[in-house]
Amino acid sequence: MTAGVSLAVLLLILGSSIAVGAGIALVGLVLNQLYSPMPLTRMMGELAWSTTSNFILTAIPFYIMFGEILLRSGIAERMYNAMTQWLSWLPGGLMHSNVGSCALFGSVSGSSVATAATIGVVAMGEIERHQYNERLFLGTLAAGGTLGILIPPSINMIIYGVMTDTSIPKLYLAGFLPGFVLTVLFSLTVLIACLWKPAWGGRKIETSWAERWRTLPDLLPPLVLLLIVVGAIFFGLATATESAAVGILGALAITAWRRRLTFSMLREVCEGTVRTTAMVVAILVAAFFLNVVIQTIGLTQQLGKLIAAYQLSPVEVLSAVILLYLVLGTFMEELSMMISTIPITTPLILQAGYDPVWFGVLLVLLIQTAMISPPFGINLFVIHGIRARGMLADVEIGSAPFVIALLVMIALICFFPGIVMWLPQAVG
Amino acid sequence: MKRLQAFAEAISRGGAIVGGAMLLVAAITICVDIFLRYAFSLTVGGADDLSGYALAISSAWGFSAALLTRSHIRIDTVYVRVKNRAARAALDLLSVAAFALFAGLLVWHGWGVFQLSYASNSHSQSAIEMPLAIPQGIWFAGLAFFLGVALLLLGRALLACARRDLDELFRLIGSKSAAAEAREEVVAVERAMEAERRE
Repeated sequence: MTAGVSLAVLLLILGSSIAVGAGIALVGLVLNQLYSPMPLTRMMGELAWSTTSNFILTAIPFYIMFGEILLRSGIAERMYNAMTQWLSWLPGGLMHSNVGSCALFGSVSGSSVATAATIGVVAMGEIERHQYNERLFLGTLAAGGTLGILIPPSINMIIYGVMTDTSIPKLYLAGFLPGFVLTVLFSLTVLIACLWKPAWGGRKIETSWAERWRTLPDLLPPLVLLLIVVGAIFFGLATATESAAVGILGALAITAWRRRLTFSMLREVCEGTVRTTAMVVAILVAAFFLNVVIQTIGLTQQLGKLIAAYQLSPVEVLSAVILLYLVLGTFMEELSMMISTIPITTPLILQAGYDPVWFGVLLVLLIQTAMISPPFGINLFVIHGIRARGMLADVEIGSAPFVIALLVMIALICFFPGIVMWLPQAVG
Repeated sequence: MKRLQAFAEAISRGGAIVGGAMLLVAAITICVDIFLRYAFSLTVGGADDLSGYALAISSAWGFSAALLTRSHIRIDTVYVRVKNRAARAALDLLSVAAFALFAGLLVWHGWGVFQLSYASNSHSQSAIEMPLAIPQGIWFAGLAFFLGVALLLLGRALLACARRDLDELFRLIGSKSAAAEAREEVVAVERAMEAERRE
């Protein structure tokens, strides 16, 4: 009963387009009013302070700032050209460079929107020049961009880690292999499509070994940053927050080296960082409050009992959760979807005996799927926004094969959890 | 009232820039901390506290900036299908009213947090022993400003409503479509790339 009412209130309030942060707080208030023996709002002050002054969460604005600087550092264009030299001999040409560049940029960026936007802007001019199948080309950018949150660092993994008390370094380690496999799956999708319809692959691009070696150093800045930011965490030299701070310094150094470091650029970076951070933090503070309310009124236990009463097996619980996200993902904004559902779904999954690290990666894959599934998929909007003409449907159709690739990936980690768990277990 | 909003916008923009600068300084402090730790086995401590304060303060001050630029996410699946302008305006008013309520709660209970630290003269547990009332005071001021901005927007929107000037209302508090949001992201990237090409 409580569960039904809670879900109804959540959907009603968020559905009425109340801003998500305020809306989640409102859901907490309503549930508190209805079911809690004591007024929990009193905790809100302490909760707001302790959440936002939490050192681990400082990683979020740091990664956002890191992304804002990278965007203005001018590394993306050169990196893309180098990728073209190395990957465009495959059937499907530049579309493989799109996927590869997204994967490489995603391995320094913690955000999918930033990855899609950055690589999208660089690549967009090439569609007509080389006569690619436009829809598939757009799809590679929207889908490739989602790699930003799977390949560490990842803002979404940090949020999941903090909300569920899961080790962030382990989550990062767990994201690596799936990130690599998914990149290959995306490329394979392009390859199959272009072997089936060779005309989609566009005109061949001139490459030479001399040019390949000449552009190779352009791949270095992102690789060095990757090594600093992710390597420091893996070797236990620094925490996720610390390594993000080092990343900021590294990105600033590259920007200065490219002579792009100015005061007005820094001001833009600061303003953009704070706006995005505040938006995320507003939702987080409200979600932490909702979390307390949910625990106090015993919602999770109730759901647990419900599952026991219906004798649902772990696999059935998991399937239900996956289905829930696939449905929610079609119409809900992805970040809000993740934060507002974690307090409910994670305890259920853990009760069913699944590993929190494994579920974290599964959740990220589900969010990626949501990002490119219509009608609401943020990456679809980003790529459509860059193209600035034609119909959104072109991007949606072009992304469809990659939704299938993502579903294959989800099935893969469900049947072979080792893909996720091997690396975190091997390292410790 | 228009001037009041322009004033509020200037303050919130300043707050956002200062908040971002604090985060930048915090990041650099952490780097120095790490360097000293590995180069000279020195632990200065306090960098983690400071960056926590930077996040708390910059997000408290950023709430209002995000509200004024309409950057807070709204699920607009239903909203965009509501064609009736009055109904849309009602949804917009509801959203900003919910924000005012949320901000009110944060201010009300945030004051308690600040007041307690001030009265009991609490200090942070790290090496720097920062009196907590200082960062919490700046944090609380940000929350109070956020409440002020939410009420100002609510007030202006209600006035516009009373004048039946719905266009004005949408300009103030209407939902930015996700597509428009994405477009802004793209414009930022494109501007950065153009700067690159000019060189």
